[in-house]
Formats: sequence, C-alpha cells, structure tokens
Amino acid sequence: MRKLRVLSLSVLLFAVPVAAHHSGVAYFDLDASVEHTDVTVVAYDLVNPHGRLVYTFTAADGTEVEWSGEMPSANNARRRGLGGEMFKPGDRLRSVMGSPARSGSNFMRLERVVFANGDVAQIAGPNAGITRAAQ
Amino acid sequence: MRSGSLTLAAAAFLFASSAGAQADFEGIWRPTHPPRMGQPDPATVRLTPAGQAEYEAFSPEKDPTLRCLMPGIPLGLVDPYPIEIVQQDHQVLILYEHFHQVRRVFTDGRTAPDHWVPSLIGYSTGEWDGGTLVVTTTHLSPDNYTWTAGFPFSGNENAYVVEQWSRNGDVLTMRGEVHDPTYYEEPYVVNARWEFDPDGEIWEYECIPEFAGVE
Repeated sequence: MRKLRVLSLSVLLFAVPVAAHHSGVAYFDLDASVEHTDVTVVAYDLVNPHGRLVYTFTAADGTEVEWSGEMPSANNARRRGLGGEMFKPGDRLRSVMGSPARSGSNFMRLERVVFANGDVAQIAGPNAGITRAAQ
Repeated sequence: MRSGSLTLAAAAFLFASSAGAQADFEGIWRPTHPPRMGQPDPATVRLTPAGQAEYEAFSPEKDPTLRCLMPGIPLGLVDPYPIEIVQQDHQVLILYEHFHQVRRVFTDGRTAPDHWVPSLIGYSTGEWDGGTLVVTTTHLSPDNYTWTAGFPFSGNENAYVVEQWSRNGDVLTMRGEVHDPTYYEEPYVVNARWEFDPDGEIWEYECIPEFAGVE
C-alpha cells in the first residue's frame, strides 16, 4: 500500500507524455511518468531481451523503497552507446525517470537517468545515448 | 553478319533481363521503420466480434519472446534489429538478429509438405513479381499474436501472411498483410523499412529467461 502511494504521488507530480514503444504499451502506462531522486544502484544487468536496473531510494515517509527499471535489450543499448559499465552497485544517481508498470508494482520502463556528475543517459527513444554535462 | 550478331545479343539481353528480373536483396540491412514500428493506428484496425473479444481478453504473457522463444510470424515481421538476407537458387534466407530468427523462403515452386506442422515460423514460399518478392507464409501457430498492443492471431487453417519485399536503391521495404478472417474484417497491414548497411553487423542475441518476463 505504501508503495502504491509512492507511485501515485510520483505519477501526479511528474505526469508527462512519452513516446510509444513497440513492446511497452502492454505492460507500461506510457502516458504517465514516474521519477525518483537520489537513488542508489543495487544491481544492473544488461542482457537480452531486456536489461534491468535495480535501485533504492528513501521515500517521503523515510522508508527505503526498492524499484526496478527495464532497459532496452543489451544489443540495442550497446548500439546506442549505453554499455554494460554504465552502472555498478553502490553508484548514486541524481534521478531515474520512466513509465510505470500497469501492474502497480515497483517497476518502470526506464526513459532517462541523470548521473551524480550531471551526465544524462537517454535510455529510450530515437535520441537514446549519453549526453555529457558541461564541464 | 554483324547485324545478326547484334540481334542475337539483343535477344540474349532481353532474355537475361527477364530471367534476372528478381532484385538483389543480399546483405545486411539496418532498421529504419516508420513510426509505431510500421504498425497501423490501432483505431483503424477492424476486428470481427471474435477478434474484438480476443483483443479485450488479451494476455501479454502470450508473447513467445517472454519465454525466450523467437517472435515468429506475424509478430516478428518487424523488429528494431538488423537483418541479413542471403539469396540462393532455391530459397531466400532472412536472418534476423532478433532471437536469431531464421526464415527460409522457398522460391523453387515447392509447396508445403503434408506433414508440416504449425509453428512460430510457419512455411514460407516466394515468387518474384518483377523486382518484388511476394512471400506467402502458412502453417502458423495459434500460440502467437499479431502485435504486442493486444492484436490477436488465430493461427487457424484460414490464417496466413503475405509479404511484398522490394528494393529501391539502398532502401528495402516490406508490406505485410496478416490475413486472419476469424479475427479481422480486413487484413492487418504492417510496413517495414530498412537501409542497406554494408558495414553493419549481426550480433549474437542471447536471451536470459530470468529477464524475459516482467514484474
């Protein structure tokens, strides 16, 4: 119930339209968006047919919440310069944003990640890739 | 004498042109599909009452790729990965990076043998209509669907898929018609596009089952 509240609040705060994807519409609400800030990477696997980023963050009520974000396939991610060394356990990330799962579980289709140094990884869409922060 | 030779040469050229009307699709092709992966606007798809019921009862878990199986046809007609095409005398091979899917399109006039069982990839035959390769695929599996947005596929004996492949310069296009009168009032049409990529690569697509499903 607590997790659902977190999701609902996030959806209200960050609802923006995102581009449709061929395989995402059945599982993810592509008309909604959820964003988490100050997250810590727990695990990262870049595999086919989908990679996955697992992370935790501290919710507004002080509890630690774990979420997972679906990545593109390893092949597609590597072709876009989103290689396997992008995240490692313990990394701190400024924010993680994506489309929430229709199931209501703590799961999203990743759209964008902002690293601690300000670099931005656009995960999905035609502009996928890494944008380096201005030095 | 000289005139006769020219006539013979012209006749030979015309014969060769006619016999060689088939296009050259050989090589690696990079996907540049239209928006929505070449799928129709869902609002334009005309379902039968049975198709509508199946659409509303759609279960995404039916997707074979969530079990690390190749998408098959019609689901795998279009995907965001490169393909390689090999043309032989008796068949055209379509080699998909996606799930290592391989299609054999027999172009030597054979028909599906009686013992062929329905499968994800079915049985494909092709005929050249000038520079267009027309592929007909039958014997498809009911354990599949037309598209992940919820469009079903009956896979029964009346269901088949027709594709028209053609090349214009460095662009390869495919118009696919999913004929499934049990679920669709008219064929479900997809349009795919690739660009010739002579330096492209086909990568291994290992699939890890633990990451194939969704939470």
